[in-house]
Amino acid sequence: MSRLTRWLAPSTTARAHCDLPCGVYDPEQARIEAESVYRIIDKYNASSDDVYRTRAIAIKEKQAELVKHHLDVLWHDYFKPEHLEKVPNLHELFWSATKQVSKVKASTDIADAKKLLELIDEVDAAWKATGGEEKTRVAGRPS
Amino acid sequence: MTDRRPRRPAGPRRSTPLRERLRGPWRIAVAEASMRPAIEDGDWLLIDPSVDRWPRRGSIVVFREPEGDALAVKRVAAGPGDRVPFADGFLELAEDEAWLLSDASPEETVAAGFGEPVDSRRYGPVPLELLVGRAWFRYAPIRRMGRLGERRTRAS
Repeated sequence: MSRLTRWLAPSTTARAHCDLPCGVYDPEQARIEAESVYRIIDKYNASSDDVYRTRAIAIKEKQAELVKHHLDVLWHDYFKPEHLEKVPNLHELFWSATKQVSKVKASTDIADAKKLLELIDEVDAAWKATGGEEKTRVAGRPS
Repeated sequence: MTDRRPRRPAGPRRSTPLRERLRGPWRIAVAEASMRPAIEDGDWLLIDPSVDRWPRRGSIVVFREPEGDALAVKRVAAGPGDRVPFADGFLELAEDEAWLLSDASPEETVAAGFGEPVDSRRYGPVPLELLVGRAWFRYAPIRRMGRLGERRTRAS
């Protein structure tokens, strides 16, 4: 940079603000946290140690919150209005999936966790149907 | 806009004392692409920080974002007292508020490698106390040097 340019350069920056999403999305992220939840409920039910069970509940709560977060990110940031053509039940699907997370938080029934995994698999199918696998993973998805 | 009021400055004056306003900034560099094609990422602009109220519709302003306080640049789409189409109805701006929008559409910013534009549609009306100045001239790059025009905007 020449001295003149340096002298002319503004010292302040103003943003013509846009979102800056990283563009990397994968329902696997939600799936892994939901699997932890599943396993925690499993261990909870197998144990008779009160301390262990209390810890399991606390951890389940935390992991479930992560599931909700990852689902929300997919819903808000990855899916676009035009995807509704391919997946007409998209909003309903996310609504039931995030509702199911809340249900799992309050439950120690393995069937609830199983149901959550199934709903995440449906989200995964929607992500694949809209080309997510090719578009949002760097150099496609490692097989 | 649905109303036919003249596009002249309206609303109350800024409470920031002139002496403080004159500290600037007088020049800013623009980052990101939501004001394309009028302003590109990397343009250098001259700012008039002495403005004492919201400039009229179509002007480009520098202000602090209501969320996060970052310095930002957008266009005035509606000013104090105007009605802005919002959701299924209208939003009536208060006497010290403006509705600030991006020039570029989401498709355009995404094509330019950025995310969706962030403006009043995200953070709502911007109060006068967050106004920093009016951008009026581009001084770099030299081949696009010149006054920044006003433009009719859609207040949506």
